[in-house]
This record gives sequence, structure tokens and C-alpha cells, in this order.
Amino acid sequence: MSKKLILGLLSVVLFTEGCATSGIEATGSPSIQPQFAKHLVLHNESLANKVIIQQMNARTTACTYVGAKQSCVLEVSAVLANLTGSNKKIQYRFSWFDADNFEVEKDSRAWTPVILSGKSTINMQAVAPNPTVTSYKINVKELK
Amino acid sequence: MKNSSRLLPWALTATLAFVGISGCSNTGVSYGDATAVETTSIEFGSTDLQQVAEKMVDSLLTFPPIVDVTSKRRPVMFVDTIKNKTSEHIDTESITDTISSRVLRSGKFRFVDMTKVTAIKKQLDFQHGSGLVSEESKVKLGRQIGAEYMMYGNLSSIVKRSGKTKDVYYKFTMKVIHVETGIIEWADEKEIRKVFKKPVFGF
Repeated sequence: MSKKLILGLLSVVLFTEGCATSGIEATGSPSIQPQFAKHLVLHNESLANKVIIQQMNARTTACTYVGAKQSCVLEVSAVLANLTGSNKKIQYRFSWFDADNFEVEKDSRAWTPVILSGKSTINMQAVAPNPTVTSYKINVKELK
Repeated sequence: MKNSSRLLPWALTATLAFVGISGCSNTGVSYGDATAVETTSIEFGSTDLQQVAEKMVDSLLTFPPIVDVTSKRRPVMFVDTIKNKTSEHIDTESITDTISSRVLRSGKFRFVDMTKVTAIKKQLDFQHGSGLVSEESKVKLGRQIGAEYMMYGNLSSIVKRSGKTKDVYYKFTMKVIHVETGIIEWADEKEIRKVFKKPVFGF
């Protein structure tokens, strides 16, 4: 009887593991810090009240001069904060857009995995692939 | 009739088991996101390659002395090999391809491909020595541009095992040297730590 019970429990565990899904893929926005909302895409609704962008800075760098024309590259730095006391396994990716809102160098940046400790922050930093970039988005989702 | 009613529960159980197994089976081919985090094994993978490339390109293009030399012209660079000092088989040419492609697409540098010198020479020999190519369409000889900078690097690793835990530390170092003076103009490192813990259940 006990053997049957153990076998039953094991099969339930294996079945659940094998069928695990990748979670909700919905777009959300942070509940606070609305000034950064347009730059942040949260792919899991469950993250909405747990992580926030605490600080975000953008500047131009690596300028080139062709005659009188100056073209610079956008550099972005953002601080992601974990509001909860538990560690969060997350991944983030920068995406870049030109003046017409076309995505620039699509898929040039990969998802970066990070472990965000409880009540701590991490700095996410990236440089745009070329000077045509005028805006950006930071995508954040849970790492399964 | 009696036999079929006896078989019904068995048939139902078999059907449910089949549906359950086939529902969880993952034998079909599907497309995935090439930029997704890949944790199939602890070995050097696509996520590591992409992280190394991103860090190196961002660092190179924003390093002030490099910004200075690329502000008004696009210097010519060539890529030497990345030495693989790890115990794994890693295609380091793939790493340099990704890095050089991104640097090239940034518009800051131009590249010469040293792996294609023989092929280019063969084409020049054909144009100038075969007598098959018209005079007006022949490309001129002796006009190739010498590289001003060389990019090279190392990939090393430290592997440690303790019981059911395996820890791998990768260190990728990259440098850009000025060919004429031999001065290293830029260098940076990317460290990656991966830990694998064997599960209590599973394989």
C-alpha cells in the first residue's frame, strides 16, 4: 500500500514537472514610478507589484562628426528594484526604436538572466546599436 | 456484451494514459526564441555568447579613447583568433563573428577579413592572369587598405565539483591593439558563473 502511495506521489510530481508551462505572457506596467512606465514592459502580471524601475537615465555618447553633422549613440542606465523580501529570478532585454518607431537591429540583444535579491537593486545598462535609435524599451519577465 | 462492459474501464484507463503521455510528450519540432535564456546544460551556450558579445561591443564603443579615434573616421580593424583555454569545445570564431558584425554595424570601424585573403588573391589572379576579364572591368591591384587595429582575446574557465554541485566560471578577455605602435588601446573582461545542482529526482 505504502509502495503504491509513493509511486502515485512520484508520478504526480513527474507529471506536473513535465507539463509546466512558461507562465503568463501579458504586458503590464509598474504600479508606481509612472514617469518610467513608457520605457518598461513587464511580461508577467505577477511582477507588476514586485519590481519597479527606481531610476532611469539616458545620455548620448560615442558621437561621430561628418562635416557639420553630428550623430551620437544612446546609452541607457536603469535601476531595477525588488520590493519583496524574497529573491527573484528575472531576465531583461533592451529593445531600440528609431524616430518612426521602427525597431532597430531587432533581436540584436538577448535576454539577460539575473538574480535580484530580496529588497535589493540591480543596474541594467546598454548602448544602442547605432545612432538612428531615438527611444528604447526595457522588457522584464520572470526567468522560469 | 458482458465482456465489452468488463473491458470498458481498461479501455478508458488506457485512453487517459495515452492522452496524458502524448499531452506531455515534447518530441515534435518547434521554433524557439533565439535570444531566450538557454539553460539546457552548464556548458558554454548561446546566452553566454550573446552576453559576452553585448558587453564587449558596448564597452569598446563607449571607451573614451576609442570614441576619440572613431569620431571623425572609421579605422580599419582585423580580428585575430580568440584562444579557447577552456576544457570544452567552443566555436570561438562564432563569438568573434558576432562581435565584429555588431561593431561593423555600429558604423565606427571597418574590417578586413584575413580568412578570405587567399580567396581574394585567387580572384585577383583570375582577373589579371586568365585573359578572360575585360580590361575596363578589372579591379586595380595594390589598393587594399592595411588594418590599423587588431582585435584578439582569450576564453578561460575554472571548473569545480563538490558532491552534486558543479560550478563553472568563465572569463572572456578581449583587447584591441594598435598595429603600428603595439599599444593596447582597449581591453575588457566579461565574467560568467554557472552553477548546476543535480536534482534529487530526475535525470
